[in-house]
Amino acid sequence: MATQTDLQSTWSPKYLLGRTPLSRRRALWGLALVAPNTLGLLFFFGIPVVLSFVTAFHEWNGIKPPIFNGLENFQTLLNDPKFWQALGNTLKLVLITVPIGTLLSLSIAILLNQRLHGRSFFRTLYFLPVVTSTVAASIVWAWIFQAHYGLLNNLLAGFGLLDLNWLTRPDLVLIPIAVVTIWQRVGFYMILFLAGLQNVPRSLYEAALIDGATRWQRFRYITVPMLSPTTFLIVVLSVIGSFQIFDQVFIMTARTAAGGVGGSATTLSYYLYQKGFVGGEFGYASAIGLAMFAMMLAVTIFQLRLQRRWVYYESTDG
Amino acid sequence: MKIRRLSILLLVVFIFSVLSAQAQDGATIPAAQCDAPGDLTLRVWDENWAKTVQTIVDKWVADYCPGANVTVNQVPWGQYWDLLKTDASSGDLPDVFNIIQAYGQEYINNDALLNLQPYLESAGIDPSLWGAGSVDPYRSAETQDVYATPLEWVTVAIFYNKDLFDAAGVPYPTADWTWDDFADAAAKLTDPANGVFGAAVYAQYQGGYGDWIASTGTPPVVTADHTTCTLQEPGSIEALSFLKDLLDKGYMPTVSQLGGTSADDEYNLFKSGKVAIYLNGAWKLPDTIRDVTFNWDIVQLPRNPTSGLSRPILHASAWAASANSDNPDLAANLVQFLVSDEGQKIFADAGGVAPGNPNPELQQTWIDSFGDTNVNIQAFVDASKDTQSATNFNGDAFNQATADLVINIFDLGVSVEDATAQACETMQPDLVPAS
Repeated sequence: MATQTDLQSTWSPKYLLGRTPLSRRRALWGLALVAPNTLGLLFFFGIPVVLSFVTAFHEWNGIKPPIFNGLENFQTLLNDPKFWQALGNTLKLVLITVPIGTLLSLSIAILLNQRLHGRSFFRTLYFLPVVTSTVAASIVWAWIFQAHYGLLNNLLAGFGLLDLNWLTRPDLVLIPIAVVTIWQRVGFYMILFLAGLQNVPRSLYEAALIDGATRWQRFRYITVPMLSPTTFLIVVLSVIGSFQIFDQVFIMTARTAAGGVGGSATTLSYYLYQKGFVGGEFGYASAIGLAMFAMMLAVTIFQLRLQRRWVYYESTDG
Repeated sequence: MKIRRLSILLLVVFIFSVLSAQAQDGATIPAAQCDAPGDLTLRVWDENWAKTVQTIVDKWVADYCPGANVTVNQVPWGQYWDLLKTDASSGDLPDVFNIIQAYGQEYINNDALLNLQPYLESAGIDPSLWGAGSVDPYRSAETQDVYATPLEWVTVAIFYNKDLFDAAGVPYPTADWTWDDFADAAAKLTDPANGVFGAAVYAQYQGGYGDWIASTGTPPVVTADHTTCTLQEPGSIEALSFLKDLLDKGYMPTVSQLGGTSADDEYNLFKSGKVAIYLNGAWKLPDTIRDVTFNWDIVQLPRNPTSGLSRPILHASAWAASANSDNPDLAANLVQFLVSDEGQKIFADAGGVAPGNPNPELQQTWIDSFGDTNVNIQAFVDASKDTQSATNFNGDAFNQATADLVINIFDLGVSVEDATAQACETMQPDLVPAS
């Protein structure tokens, strides 16, 4: 009978899926069952992403075959004022939508965590924007923000603010985009926060009450730290999501100046679209995509590193 | 003396043979039998054209190519160009398809289109019969070979609401009215109490500001070779300032009041009686005839007082064939039929845009196709006598520049000098360096 050491000392390719026929059969079954998912990911995500990264080092107008041009696209990128403008717009949107979105969804979650009548109804109501298509939402919000006929300006007229050009003024155009983005996401983050809130052990609150903690102190010293994993998740998702804003810009600026006057609403994603699908420079657009990927990866890694400082994970031994 | 009589004789023979050749041939553009039938795909963007083209294709199959099979597809305008680009990159373009001037050079330069010059020459068709404005955008810049043949020409004119003119006591405009007459009319027709604007004539390149610039004798926005921005030239400044002045005085709605920057937005206000005069193309005739409930008419663009020109922009869409077609000869034959007298007659009968074929009978057929409308459609044909060929092209910087120009001047109140300077700067990356 083979001993443990005998088994470990020899290895041949037929052991790739497992040492024993039974384990190999199981492995094959496992692979077969996840195949639809992995193949789908491979063909509709993995391979296109790799191809797109490869295209970033080529010049390609979409009609003739791509021509390799090394790092030229990236050199152009660094010197391209429109790229920096798009990056600036994207960062502005991140800085607006992430804090406001997080705080808003936390507030709503806390409100709806209490015993109120109709809280299920309100939870559903707040979640509805999440399941709306961004395109449909953008179309409606574009009309709400329309300078002359829009609902918002009609309401503001009562305060003496006449016909603000929300979607055409370069200094105002990011506001409607941010509003739609936040509106669409708050429901989802609210659900995540609700789950987080409900996982905070009651014993902690009870102990705090006994110690005479005020409401604010309970929030600050119990709720916030216990929610920090959820907050961390939401901030990471929110940042990545805001980096990729496209639909809102495309739809809301379509009727006037696409991408905002002077590119004032152009985000990185939208700039990628403009360069690739309008300008026909697919190589350059892919380079923008690769740059976006690198930036988001860097930001996320930074956030992961930072979490050690502020995210509190309740350990199993209390 | 002998030589003189001989040359007169030769001249008479020459004239006679030319005249008799015309009499024998008759057709401005003939059709021809195909060599061998096969399968073809054909793509258009306009759903009205799709129906008409099906009729034309059926006639071609019946009369000139029995056994051939053509699949006609219609892809809406919004998706047409993206799909075409995707098909071009996979080498799988439809055999015959519609193309516009803005994309012509791009597809020609990337070898996506079939060179039609040899086919036209062997059929005895001289491409210059279509007129430089219609066919030159579809010639290769190097060889001057024709890669697409005009299927229609379209230009713009003023549509006006006769009822509003009557109510304001303003006489109807005539073909030789001037910019000053126009400004007067716009002032008198504006009725703020009822929310009526005198005019809305600025929104688009063709069907807006571009036509006013062209009427000063300046190529609108950019030169035909796409090297230089013309927005800072005196003619452009004059035209844009004229329009901005009318807007500032309240005779024209702002972009916000229009709800968008297309002539269709102006049309919506025109249709609901909120704008008395607006500018649009012949493509809008079927919809206008069908939808408008008040009395209206058409007149040419007013003449610029200095240049004396009333010069709208002309655009001609064309039929192109794929360079990678499995049946290039068959595709070229179908294209020839589509632009021939017979094919274009069916197109003219269907109304809509005017057929590209210059045969005057066909032009009259087009006008008659609208039926008894009481509207001066002839104004479009008259306008086509002096036109500016479209110079715009598709490019992300160029598109941004022109969109910003309209918003800056007609919505954000930026001065014409600043807006045009900004536009020229924005479009710089897309301008071909002059060589």
